Amino acid sequence: MENRPLEYDYTVAKMFMLTTVLLGIVGMLVGVILAWQLAFPSVNTILGSGVAEYTNFSRLRPLHTDAVIFGFTLSGIWATWYYVGQRVLKVSMAESKVLMFLGKLHFWLYLVGVVAVVVSLLLGITTSKEYAEFEWPIDIAIVIVWVIWGLSLFGLIGMRREKSLYISIWYYIATFLGIAMLYLFNNMEIPTYFASGGIGAWWHSVSMYSGTNDALVQWWYGHNAVAFGFTVPIVAMIYYFLPKESGQAVFSYKLSLLSFWGLMFVYLWAGGHHLLFSTVPDWMQTMSSVFSVILILPSWGSAINMLLTMKGEWQQVASSPLIKFMVLASTFYMFSTLEGPIQAIKSVNAIAHFTDWIVGHVHDGTLGWVAFMIMAALFHMAPRVFKREIYSKSLMNTQFWIQTLGVVLYFTSMWIAGITQGMMWRAHDEFGNLAYSFIDTVTVLHPYYTIRAVGGTLYLIGMFLFAWNMYKTMTAGRRVEENELQNASPMAA
Amino acid sequence: MFHWLEKHPFFFAVGVFVTIAFAGLIEIVPNFAEASRPSIGTKPYTTLELAGRHVYIKNSCNACHSQLIRPFKAETDRYGDYSLSGEYAYDRPFLWGSKRTGPDLMRVGNYRTTDWHENHMRDPRSVVPGSIMPAYAWLFENSADVDTAYAEQVTVRDFFSVPYNQEIPMKDGSKETVVLADTLAGAQASALEEAKLVAADMKDKSVQDAVSAGQIPEIVALIAYMNSLK
Amino acid sequence: MDIAQLQAYGYFFLVLFLVVVLYSYIYHLYKNRKDHDGVDYEKYSNMALNDDITDKPVNKVSDKETKKVGDKNE
Repeated sequence: MENRPLEYDYTVAKMFMLTTVLLGIVGMLVGVILAWQLAFPSVNTILGSGVAEYTNFSRLRPLHTDAVIFGFTLSGIWATWYYVGQRVLKVSMAESKVLMFLGKLHFWLYLVGVVAVVVSLLLGITTSKEYAEFEWPIDIAIVIVWVIWGLSLFGLIGMRREKSLYISIWYYIATFLGIAMLYLFNNMEIPTYFASGGIGAWWHSVSMYSGTNDALVQWWYGHNAVAFGFTVPIVAMIYYFLPKESGQAVFSYKLSLLSFWGLMFVYLWAGGHHLLFSTVPDWMQTMSSVFSVILILPSWGSAINMLLTMKGEWQQVASSPLIKFMVLASTFYMFSTLEGPIQAIKSVNAIAHFTDWIVGHVHDGTLGWVAFMIMAALFHMAPRVFKREIYSKSLMNTQFWIQTLGVVLYFTSMWIAGITQGMMWRAHDEFGNLAYSFIDTVTVLHPYYTIRAVGGTLYLIGMFLFAWNMYKTMTAGRRVEENELQNASPMAA
Repeated sequence: MFHWLEKHPFFFAVGVFVTIAFAGLIEIVPNFAEASRPSIGTKPYTTLELAGRHVYIKNSCNACHSQLIRPFKAETDRYGDYSLSGEYAYDRPFLWGSKRTGPDLMRVGNYRTTDWHENHMRDPRSVVPGSIMPAYAWLFENSADVDTAYAEQVTVRDFFSVPYNQEIPMKDGSKETVVLADTLAGAQASALEEAKLVAADMKDKSVQDAVSAGQIPEIVALIAYMNSLK
Repeated sequence: MDIAQLQAYGYFFLVLFLVVVLYSYIYHLYKNRKDHDGVDYEKYSNMALNDDITDKPVNKVSDKETKKVGDKNE
């Protein structure tokens, strides 16, 4: 024991890498099924009408969003935390038995939570609030998992050797605090079984907020769950993995400071843009619109910082598929954070709201930015945690192009679908009557829904390539030495 | 200035928390009381309607249907009067939705009948050719959970003073009362009475048999809920 | 003054305050270049690049080493 040099301990990181890949495939598979169901409704009874209740669109839809957010993305966040955290703080988890225990407990409790979520959503046990569908027993479990992560996060920080916290750590801390605050307040609910003295289903609860207030709290949560689940922690990843993989120091540390505090302050205000033209007060709608536009600045601050980090090193984009993933991710981040504010402008929102354009926007962010970055992070981590070379570079390239094509098909078809539908809903004939019945605006979307389903399927195929590549790296990649792992990840042709 | 924070994780965390919590306070707190006041003519749900609302939530109808009419001519022409904040006072949770794959249902009770819903839920394309909505055949077999609906009614009455058994002013100046039974058995009986009225307009034999036998299929509760959306 | 008016004033002065603070912060960062530990801000980027456990920290936590020994003995 005494003489063995201290090493980083990636046990927990590996566990979360596994769930990232598995839940990513599950979540996206469900998504693809949903896409085909919208294009061809007969897919709703694909496993026969006997189990139609569990395979139909409306039961699967919350499962899709929650599996990709709380399954794939959250696993990815934690996999990278248990990797990046140790490295930039220069402290190993092997140095503390307590932290190691907490890390493992974190993983296993999380897994129990995932199973509970899948079962309950399939059974239709839901509060209906988007991305907060879980009933109170699961909410409590989630809070416990979150607290454990907090202990492990601040515990590791407490034993660090590096005095200053690296940029990524700021973003992980913000993720922890942001989600904790939002989740607690949005899920304030009263279990009816206990409040009524033991009547009805024990898991059922009723929201403490009603109507407009409930909507306001929900979208304050919903929007910022995106902020602290899909933006902040993913920025944490790119601030570490892009410089490390490319060997280039971050273009400007000062700019990263400004972007961070800017993002923290501005993001929360923008939640109201989900409720434009609703019954929340006008001043709030206008304010959220304005803040959404301001939000471009801190978002682009980070994204530009990343692109400028590659200054003078662009040949790496051509030569390394790993860098390709990350550069495309930050490009999609810029694109998505420009598209969002455009949709938050009131006159644009009047057309875009309730249409597929919003769905398109979500997916160019999640598929193009979040998933690409998480996969790049896992590709970078794989040789270091398994001490093996990445199994196949050409497979990575193939995956990159298949998935990029998938994303492009996805968002272009959804743009057209959304704007078409938005315009048709409001179209009037020369006498001032509505020009189209609602079903006209549904049937017209069939080709776009089909294209979207094809795009989604391509992306899912890419996910399978990713899983295969990771599996082969873990089991069959050439063993590598420590000195090969300094910057660019070793990969076999 | 801030470089000090990066070296002191505790104060850093406090700083982040204050920065992000600020917006929520400003946005949500000032209007809270005003936004939860009901408008004239808004009634709390009956036991059967609430059970139907639970069926609506259980099947995530809100994933494809909104309940929010925006103040545009195109929307008021299509769906009726635009939504007012007070109309949602008894909606826990709110069901505005975020996507209209299907039409808005805020006032669906004004223009669809029990009969229409029955056919539509069993086979959407028989009523609306080209519809991409899935069929909901299991609603005709599963029983609605009246007990949980009653538990929720009792809870909201006790915790949020929802005015059951009180006179509620209507738009035409009259008063109406939504009755909440004192006991679970009473609630079950009144839900069944309500269910019989809905089932009388339905054609499905098995549903009618079930209701005469004292059971309430999910479809009956769901239709009662949708008929109440006005 | 009703609540809406108060909110409006509060909002205006908040924006003003933030503009002043943030711009002076940017000015400060670029003028000083170094923090009060004497480390050039841009040096902190090396935390990601030189992140092996044996690498020298950019800015070491003082008195940490003694504490470490205590931990190991547990």
